[in-house]
Amino acid sequence: MRKRETSPKTHIHRTVGDRVFDIAIILFFSLFTLICVFPFYYLLINTISDNDLVTSGYVNFYPMLKNASGNGVFGIQISNYIALQNVQDLGSSIMVTVARTILGTALMVLTSAWAGYLVTKQKMWKRSFWYRFLVITMYFNAGLVPWYMNMLMMGLTDNFLAYIIPGMVAPYNIILVKTYIESIPASLEESAVIDGATTSRVWAKIILPLSVPILATIAIFGAVGNWNSFQDSLLLMNNRPDLYTLQHRLYIYLNSSSNLGAMMSQGGQISEQAAQGLLNQRVIRYTVSMVSIIPILLVYPFMQRYFVKGIMLGAVKG
Amino acid sequence: MEAATRGKAPAERARAGKQLPLWLFRVSALTAGMAMFFPPANPGRISGKINQAASLFTTGISRDTVTNSMGRILRSQWIQDGEITALMIACVVVMLGVILCASGAAMSLGNHRMRRVGLALPLAGAPVMAGGLLLIRRSFERMTAHGAEVDKLDKLELAMPGGYTAFWVLAGILLVTSLAAFLVTGRTPERGMKMEMEEKYRLFLMMLPVILLAFIFCYLPIWGWRYALFDYTPGGGIGPENYVGLKWFRFLFTDPATSADLIRVLRNTLVMSGLGIATSWLPIAFAVLLAEVRSTKFQRFVQTFTTIPNFISWVLVYAIALSIFSTDGFINSFLTNVLHQTGANTNYLQSADHTWLKMLLWGTWKGVGWSAIIYIAGIAGIDQQLYEAARVDGANRFRCIWHITIPGLMPTYMVMLLMSIAGILSNGMEQYLVFSNAVNKDVIEVLDLYVYNIGIGKSQQISLSTVVGVSKSLVGITLLFLANGISKTIRGESII
Repeated sequence: MRKRETSPKTHIHRTVGDRVFDIAIILFFSLFTLICVFPFYYLLINTISDNDLVTSGYVNFYPMLKNASGNGVFGIQISNYIALQNVQDLGSSIMVTVARTILGTALMVLTSAWAGYLVTKQKMWKRSFWYRFLVITMYFNAGLVPWYMNMLMMGLTDNFLAYIIPGMVAPYNIILVKTYIESIPASLEESAVIDGATTSRVWAKIILPLSVPILATIAIFGAVGNWNSFQDSLLLMNNRPDLYTLQHRLYIYLNSSSNLGAMMSQGGQISEQAAQGLLNQRVIRYTVSMVSIIPILLVYPFMQRYFVKGIMLGAVKG
Repeated sequence: MEAATRGKAPAERARAGKQLPLWLFRVSALTAGMAMFFPPANPGRISGKINQAASLFTTGISRDTVTNSMGRILRSQWIQDGEITALMIACVVVMLGVILCASGAAMSLGNHRMRRVGLALPLAGAPVMAGGLLLIRRSFERMTAHGAEVDKLDKLELAMPGGYTAFWVLAGILLVTSLAAFLVTGRTPERGMKMEMEEKYRLFLMMLPVILLAFIFCYLPIWGWRYALFDYTPGGGIGPENYVGLKWFRFLFTDPATSADLIRVLRNTLVMSGLGIATSWLPIAFAVLLAEVRSTKFQRFVQTFTTIPNFISWVLVYAIALSIFSTDGFINSFLTNVLHQTGANTNYLQSADHTWLKMLLWGTWKGVGWSAIIYIAGIAGIDQQLYEAARVDGANRFRCIWHITIPGLMPTYMVMLLMSIAGILSNGMEQYLVFSNAVNKDVIEVLDLYVYNIGIGKSQQISLSTVVGVSKSLVGITLLFLANGISKTIRGESII
């Protein structure tokens, strides 16, 4: 966030009421921050503690392992994460999700960069019409079922491409890129054109390198969107459980009333201990949840730089 | 319009007339190009056993797609492998023809010389298409003959698809229009003219793939609205025999069960959107209060952690809700093991009490920190001199907030508010889908979730749910224009 200038408020005499108010808001924000963070912390400590203690509800504030006499003491273990490799279907959903996050984001960013550059070209035939043609799609959609029937008609059900292709054209991101490119001095481009560079060359050699900040912004937001995707998997992949995304898989785990231990692969590969530990469906849920949260938390520090850019630039209409 | 046409010089009008075959040619080339990726128009689907979702393009390149439901047929040699290959080659030939025509159409946007070359291409391309189509016909006949030989004709479901006829028609039109345009265009006036294209068309052609993608995924679904007028059952077709006109629209109001459902989901939708709108000032309060904290470090700390929930999916929010509020969640463990209460095993999620409020709270938990960012940035952008001047005039901090900060944020807030009013029927379905269960389903089902449930999720009433969806889209777009009109009147600026 941009640093605020020290406001003149600090220089004046502060009344008792002011101080009480200051303390009250600090308390309020501390509490709210705690409410935002604690659930993640709670999930985490429950995945790295002893599973028996988790089951009986002893792990509430810090991770625990059993000591020699069977009581809970502070300690961590990661065997749950290792045992996840034995949970059926999880591997394929992670692969699918990683693949769509990488491919889908890359194609979306390239398309947005390309389209965002072209719509700045006043000379294009019917430019403003085509630009509006793209932008309108942000505000209007035909509805869920017609969309589904369309995907069915295009052969994009039970098909990995359904994760990639429809997401390529993202009008909001095109607007972001366009607005950004318009702020690049036109002289840079003109000099290249005078030297005889073609449009695509100007795009690749001048525009792309200069618009890296905005492309990084849309890439990160796009990647998070892809990683979190659930609805398209739920709607389109009815006959291909191997193409379910991670969130969809987690949704199934969360809703399965049967013991998730049944999902463990059969046949001697799992150690007795791990099997017993993981028969606990609560722990599987927590661990899978953590697995799908961790990548978000990892990119989060990088994202923060782009928050304001991402949310503000969109407010600037094209 | 008329005056303009009449005002045009006869020469110009004549030129416009000459352009007609050219435009027909371009449009049909575009149609043929798109039809390659359009499964219902696949000329190569000569058997019901070929995947219904395969387009001409897929049939040409993906053997798996062609054969994935032919297991037994191929194993028993009712159709020989070689015949499949021949069919695929035939499809590739048709595609080559289409590509020639489409390139010709693109080139026809160039200068005289380029146009002439472009118009000559379909003279080759259309016959290539025709050749490919004949090859498909030949595949069909050979498969029929072989099928009859092994006496399994009924299993093969062989039939010439509608796309076959459609492609013949397209090839014909392409040939005729390009020939006409070629003749009309005439010889290149000067020798040695270079092939060039005006920049405006070049830029347009570069943009064309993006436009087509947007068309296919955002505009083409509107074509699906036609299901509202038919009695469609999944897997069946639509045609005059099941055309029912506005039956389903009337059904919404005349069928007691459906209208009761509709009233219920509309109530849920409006209440939950209404609660959201009624609390839409919360992010402003959040931002204003946070700006009053004097430590920048603390501000950054709070911002960092309160925006995290915005970036996790609703499924994960539900996972968190389970970990905190379910029978074996944090609340119950805490009551049992820390406060030593007995019998603490309430599952707070399996309850219909205060569902609307709970959904609002989850939405707030997830979104308020993020929504506040735009206002925090807004506050940072307010001129500090205003505050100094107010101080000099003796204003305290509450007066500063009330008279400077809040008015400074109002324009942004108005846009947000109008957008949320325009979207009053669209709460999305993800949050409500993950939180719904047998106990609360009556009070949690919003319109989007209802459309999903009756259309795709629980039952497959495609026509009925299309009707609900179409009505929703129409109301939504009306509200958007209304909101935009209000914004124009009040702020003199449009929001879309």
